[in-house]
Amino acid sequence: MDQLSKNNNLNLPEDGDETKIVDVTFQYIVIRLGDEQYGIDISYVNNIVRMQRITRIPKVADYLKGVINLRGEVLPVVSLRLKMGLDEDVYDKATRIIILKTENEGQIGILVDEVKEVVTLSEKSIEKVSHDSKSERTNFLSGVGKNNGELISILDLNMISLEDN
Amino acid sequence: MDVSQYLEIFLDETNEHLQNLNTQILDLEQDPENSDTVNEIFRAAHSLKGMAGTMGYKRMQNLTHDMENVFSEVRNGNIKVQPEMIDVLFQCLDALQEYTDNIKNTADEGTNENEPLIRQLNDILNNKGMTPAGSAPAPAAEAPAEEKAEGSSETPWYDIAYDESQISILSEGVKQGRKVYGIKVSVDPSCVLKAARAFLVVKAIEEKGDLIVSNPNSQDLEDEKFESDFTLIVISDESLENLIAAAESVSEISGAVGEEMDVAKLHPTEDSVEAEAPEEAAPAAPAQEAPKAVPAATPAAGAAPAKAPEKKAGKPVVNRTVRVDIEKLDSLMNLVSELITAKNSLVSAASTTSDGNNQTFNEQIEYLESVTSNLHESVMKVRMVPIESTVNKFPRMIRDLQKSLGKKLDFYMTGEETELDRTVVDEIGDPIMHLLRNSADHGIESAEIRAQRGKPEAGSIYLDAYQDGNNVIIEVRDDGNGIDIEAVRAKGIERGVVTPEQAASMSDKEVINLLFNAGFSTAKKVTDVSGRGVGLDVVKSKIESLSGEVDVKSQLGVGSTWTIRLPLTLAIIQALMVVVGGEKYAISLGSIQTIETIEKSDIKLVQNEEVINLRGTVIPLIRLNEVIETESHPIDDNSLIVVIVKKGDKMAGLVIDELIGQQEIVIKPLGKYVKQVKFITGATILGDGEVALIFDANTLL
Repeated sequence: MDQLSKNNNLNLPEDGDETKIVDVTFQYIVIRLGDEQYGIDISYVNNIVRMQRITRIPKVADYLKGVINLRGEVLPVVSLRLKMGLDEDVYDKATRIIILKTENEGQIGILVDEVKEVVTLSEKSIEKVSHDSKSERTNFLSGVGKNNGELISILDLNMISLEDN
Repeated sequence: MDVSQYLEIFLDETNEHLQNLNTQILDLEQDPENSDTVNEIFRAAHSLKGMAGTMGYKRMQNLTHDMENVFSEVRNGNIKVQPEMIDVLFQCLDALQEYTDNIKNTADEGTNENEPLIRQLNDILNNKGMTPAGSAPAPAAEAPAEEKAEGSSETPWYDIAYDESQISILSEGVKQGRKVYGIKVSVDPSCVLKAARAFLVVKAIEEKGDLIVSNPNSQDLEDEKFESDFTLIVISDESLENLIAAAESVSEISGAVGEEMDVAKLHPTEDSVEAEAPEEAAPAAPAQEAPKAVPAATPAAGAAPAKAPEKKAGKPVVNRTVRVDIEKLDSLMNLVSELITAKNSLVSAASTTSDGNNQTFNEQIEYLESVTSNLHESVMKVRMVPIESTVNKFPRMIRDLQKSLGKKLDFYMTGEETELDRTVVDEIGDPIMHLLRNSADHGIESAEIRAQRGKPEAGSIYLDAYQDGNNVIIEVRDDGNGIDIEAVRAKGIERGVVTPEQAASMSDKEVINLLFNAGFSTAKKVTDVSGRGVGLDVVKSKIESLSGEVDVKSQLGVGSTWTIRLPLTLAIIQALMVVVGGEKYAISLGSIQTIETIEKSDIKLVQNEEVINLRGTVIPLIRLNEVIETESHPIDDNSLIVVIVKKGDKMAGLVIDELIGQQEIVIKPLGKYVKQVKFITGATILGDGEVALIFDANTLL
């Protein structure tokens, strides 16, 4: 399994006074897939680009949509929908490719229906999700965060590197 | 002193010296009398010793020190080169290589003292008494009178390097009735100011005659670059006794001997080094000698400049080079690739906005094209290194094989200067080694069989490298047994690689290709040289990973030729752009033979496979749209555009929809995330920014 690189903003107080509340926050990019919203840890995100022409690679898994040219680099693009077992992507004006950086596999693009906003969540407001849950969908999640009363599922990005069964 | 920062340089240079020693000792084995070789060996050993000492590698230093002592005695003529000695020396080199490898891996030389080797070296040194050639400098200085008594055996004046002008002066002198004397003057070993004594002797001699030649030359005499004696050639009207008396009158001169010389015996030959070497730098004074840039030529250069070029021939003069980290070259290459991609998109933009009146713009783009092409070529050349560094180790390997296999082998190598991309050169060593071992072990027959077949006793193995267009060809050839096709066929069945039915229907060519299967070895017995069933399949996969191909031609009883074909460069290639099912693909021009338009009615079916008959050759068709799982959209329904590709003797016709044209493309990897797709070697970015995949025609065949 491939670990994604991570460098979060830890707003730790310098004096380390234990009575103070240590406020650890994470920023997430909120994306839309169909009717659902997901959060992607912003520290993994290198770039967000508009939908562009994807060159198909023959004889590979269907979720690997192909390769694109990002400023002279050839990058693979993965369909998050197909990877998660949803319907085939329908490209429209809102479709974006989020470029993630990984430690071992270089940059990978993921296709999303829409990029909505960036939210800041404190660590305490994120609930971890156990992976033994029956629902297949939760296997792609690392937790669920609350933002102004709305629930945001946090994507476990390691799943992009995992082979399909 | 912290020397760690020099470690890399030390390793680089040590490897160079070791390689050099290997080569030179091999030469010495062939030609034990060659004093140039001995000198070269001595210098390399000396440099190694110095470097090891500086870096604090004591064991390495000790071993090289003893080796140096042996070489020093060899070049003084006190030890004759014996085959056993060569063996010991090679073992020493292996030990040094071990030290070097240890240092490379752990920055420490290890704990192996190599005492047996050092003992053997010392034995060689101690047994020198039995060889008569000459005596060491020290005894020569102590007992010059005895040498004189021995007479003609000690006539250093005939061994000096004379150039033609000196000989003509001497002959002229003789014609005028003057006498030519050769005088050897020995300085007292305890003398401190040898140069001053020499100066006084020269002055005294010059009062009585004309000094024509001195050995060492006058500059070296002044610089005290002599051991304990020097030789003067004088034209004089005086008697020999007078001259000797004049020389001996100088204090701290232990003696002078001489005789009247026969000028007719003098030849302007290369022998000079032989005579100069012992006097010029015996063990006590190697430090003075080491820094010389062109050592072989130096002693003669002052006295006989005319000879210098002749002696330099075949010797590498110190190169004016810069060591550059390969990573820097990689990044330079990447930048050039970017530039070419940018250029391609300009070209494409210019062609789409062809208003016609933009003459200058187009001219500038053409100019840019030629500049980027030249730039690419230059960067490529910088990355190119001669394969020499890799193939140099093979003569030694063949020599060792000769001993371990008990076969006589002659090894011939040409084209060591052929250049390839650095990364390829580093990788190509093992495959060539496998092929050479294969030839030595399986190829060359035993002496008895060779005699029966009327072949010379020694088997010949050739390694030839040369450039052929955009490829480099490396051939390993032998005059051995060749491949026994029936044996391979039988083996193939036995190993279960093919069924008997398959085997029976296979062509000779196909049978030979079985050899490249993993786990296939036809050697009747397994030796430690080859025949372990690994080798040829490794060779093949290695060469293919370098985008090359390997092929073999063989005739039973006559010999085999293995041909490795490698592309000159890997990153930027000329490609044919094609369209299949609406998608653009690139096919490397290197594998393309021709492009044909074939009428659909000309397609025949053979064993349910589509083939065409192209000018007498039956070529199978490959529908590319089927390979890439897409619909074909041909322009014309009645004919096909077929790209004929060739790999070795195999050909195939790739059916495409449309031709775009030829283009210089930069190969980009698809990234690790994309698991290897067999027939796609990478991607490239086209002028309009679109990504096109590159077909590897080789894997389709």
